[in-house]
Amino acid sequence: MGKGEVLVEVRDLCKNFGVTVALDHVNMQIKRGEVRGLIGENGSGKSTVTTIIAGIQQATSGEMFYKGKPWKPQTSLEAVKAGIGIIVQEMGTIPTISVAENIFLGDYDKFRTGIIINRHKMVAAAQKALDDIGVTDIKAGDITAKYNMEQRKLIEIAKVMAHEPEMFVVDETTTALSESGRTILYNLMHKAAAEGKAVVMISHDLDEIMEHSDTLTVLRDGVIIDNIEKKDFEANDIKQKMIGREVGGNYYRVDMDGYEEDKVVLKADCITTMNNLLCFDLELHKGEILGIGGLSECGMHDLGRALYGLDEVIDGEVRLTKNNIKITSSEIAFAHGMGYVSKNRDTESLVMNASIGDNIASTGYKENRGFGPFISNKKERQYQQLQVDSLAIKCVNVFQPVSALSGGNKQKVVFGKWLAADSDVLILDCPTRGVDIGVKAAMYQLIYDMKKAGKSIVLISEELPELCGMSDRLLIMKEGAVTGEFFRKEGFDNNALIDCMI
Amino acid sequence: MSQKNELTHDAPKLTLVDRIDIIKNHRLFPVIFPLSMLVVIFLIFIVLTGGRFADTRVLTGVFNQSLIVATMATAVAFIYSTGNIDISVGNVMGLAACLGALAYQVTQSMTVMIVVTMAVGIVLMMFNCVLGLVFNVKSAMVAIVAMSVYGAITSVLVGAEPIGVDFKACKVLEGNFRYIAFVLYFVVCLLAFSRTAIGRKLRFIGGNENCAEQTGINRKKAIATSYIFAGIGVGLAGVFQVLRTGNVAQTIGSGMGMDVMLATVLGGMSIFGGAKSNTFAGFVGAVTVTVLNTGLLMIGVPSTLIQGFRGVFFLILVFLNSERQKTLPSRQQF
Repeated sequence: MGKGEVLVEVRDLCKNFGVTVALDHVNMQIKRGEVRGLIGENGSGKSTVTTIIAGIQQATSGEMFYKGKPWKPQTSLEAVKAGIGIIVQEMGTIPTISVAENIFLGDYDKFRTGIIINRHKMVAAAQKALDDIGVTDIKAGDITAKYNMEQRKLIEIAKVMAHEPEMFVVDETTTALSESGRTILYNLMHKAAAEGKAVVMISHDLDEIMEHSDTLTVLRDGVIIDNIEKKDFEANDIKQKMIGREVGGNYYRVDMDGYEEDKVVLKADCITTMNNLLCFDLELHKGEILGIGGLSECGMHDLGRALYGLDEVIDGEVRLTKNNIKITSSEIAFAHGMGYVSKNRDTESLVMNASIGDNIASTGYKENRGFGPFISNKKERQYQQLQVDSLAIKCVNVFQPVSALSGGNKQKVVFGKWLAADSDVLILDCPTRGVDIGVKAAMYQLIYDMKKAGKSIVLISEELPELCGMSDRLLIMKEGAVTGEFFRKEGFDNNALIDCMI
Repeated sequence: MSQKNELTHDAPKLTLVDRIDIIKNHRLFPVIFPLSMLVVIFLIFIVLTGGRFADTRVLTGVFNQSLIVATMATAVAFIYSTGNIDISVGNVMGLAACLGALAYQVTQSMTVMIVVTMAVGIVLMMFNCVLGLVFNVKSAMVAIVAMSVYGAITSVLVGAEPIGVDFKACKVLEGNFRYIAFVLYFVVCLLAFSRTAIGRKLRFIGGNENCAEQTGINRKKAIATSYIFAGIGVGLAGVFQVLRTGNVAQTIGSGMGMDVMLATVLGGMSIFGGAKSNTFAGFVGAVTVTVLNTGLLMIGVPSTLIQGFRGVFFLILVFLNSERQKTLPSRQQF
């Protein structure tokens, strides 16, 4: 049980998804008593390597050793029983069953006498598991659907911890947790490490991972670039290793350029919707990046939908001033030069099983016409290829389905689609959600370029640094109304912003 | 760049499964696979029948038989590509042909018969569409109800005796008219589907309705368009049916909706619609079904067993067509 002893070893691990190489001869040792951080861009292979260790998927080739013996789990249950747990990035609970059933999913045998499962015993054991990790506001007997996303994540954590793992993986879990939830998780991680167990932590948040891990492994394109000890942690160095090139410490815009304050392009006049908004006013100017911030339920996402005609405006109106067009549907909005990037990339912004090219070309049916109503192959191909090239989308060719791409590259396809459309007014709802810093930097540059080209942008975001870094003007919302307006030229005061939010 | 090459060079060998996957995901796979299947099956039957299968008369028979199903299968491809399913097309065709034949009895004019049949086909398909779009009933539900309603109306109108259409007049039109009409319709569909915004929008809706809406595509307009195209095809199939048999019987078109669905799947199209939809699938599929039926009969397989063969083919193709998840389930957004 000695600290520093190798618990899991991975040798020459490779994983292919079709032609895509996700892991390329990865070697790694995870030792008892350490919190190992894994960091890398989207698609670098972080989740792939950990899910293979935890039995969720199998490697294409290579060996693994656990406690010195060959390790080749076929299912995650096998891994759990052997002492390897994983808190996955996706939602890992089933909403329609009870909390206790979720915690002991697939492992009901120990509560069974004959064919009957002792529910009472299971609920008691589940409640103890929740208590053990310090969660007191969840009842193990309740239906899981009753609880919100954060609480469900805590249930998952209890589920993993209930099996007393020798090693557990925390895969980008903290994004779903609030401050108190994070504290619970961090404490669990450090306690486990202190007890001579091993923890692997995956996160996009550089500050978080630098604070909580002892050793950091940097992955890029399925290859381990470096292992860094805590004493050598240095943010810019890590970023550079992740991306493979130098990035400035500050990737937001640094200019103080203004916008055409007297030229309104989009105007919402006392709009009321069935979702959150009551007599809401907004003016967007030419060349302006208008940031909208607030807590997640403050109505800013609904505002984005209403502006683009996706939510019905039951009173008041949204108007594009250029041709005095009233926006009543997304069809009208799109036809008059508006664009919209949803916060739900996979379910709303892309057709997953369609090709990269088809997704990009979806905004250009009109523009790419050749003869009469017929679409010109050549024009369409250029339309697609231009975006793939200028955004450096990592793909084999434009015929590859977007489902095969990593998160950051998928988001690039979404951006490409709207860049190609050359929209005058863009509504971006959390455009950098779930993408790594390399892609983020590229997105910020694109947003800035669009502003420079005289486009107007509504940037809705849950991340304050992003809003402060990019906006010309920033509106903070709370309960469907604007509680504060701030200007770039006056400088943004974080505390004042937060005060308006809560 | 050299680093990239090293990476690919060093990458692990592809397994057989990977290779099959790559082939399956090739963009031309849905075109080439059903066609090559058809060719292979065709060649097998030529061998098994000692060349009798390649006889011109047999081939003409096969072609004539598949023409009606092919027309309808081409038509429903528009509907299927948006993820909607309509199995009532057989009965729509039946009722259209029935009213067309009645119109002929009144006017003794082939032109009137053709116009009425086509018009009824389009109107009935539009009626299905309106029920689905305006009242938000699932298209499959509408189709199930429509199937029995149209079937009932047809059998009441026809009665015990088939409605006759002058056989001589039919013979005049049976040959070239049919071929020209079919080719014309087929080419228009092919162009509209693969070369204009209409087909692209339909596939996009089938792939992700939300995304289509956010890209400014009007779902209702697009789906209505798909039903109009389908209606034209179904009406045309009704005309072909009348010309072929010279009369309209009580049971005309019943069960044909399922045949059309089978042909579509055999042709390589997914019944769930989306990105890989096309319009020629139905044609290839219809020919394949007919070749299978005729060929198996010719080598002496009892017709009851043929149903079984068709079932096995259906399963294999649905299996090849369905998408299975190879990676982790897609990231749920919080």
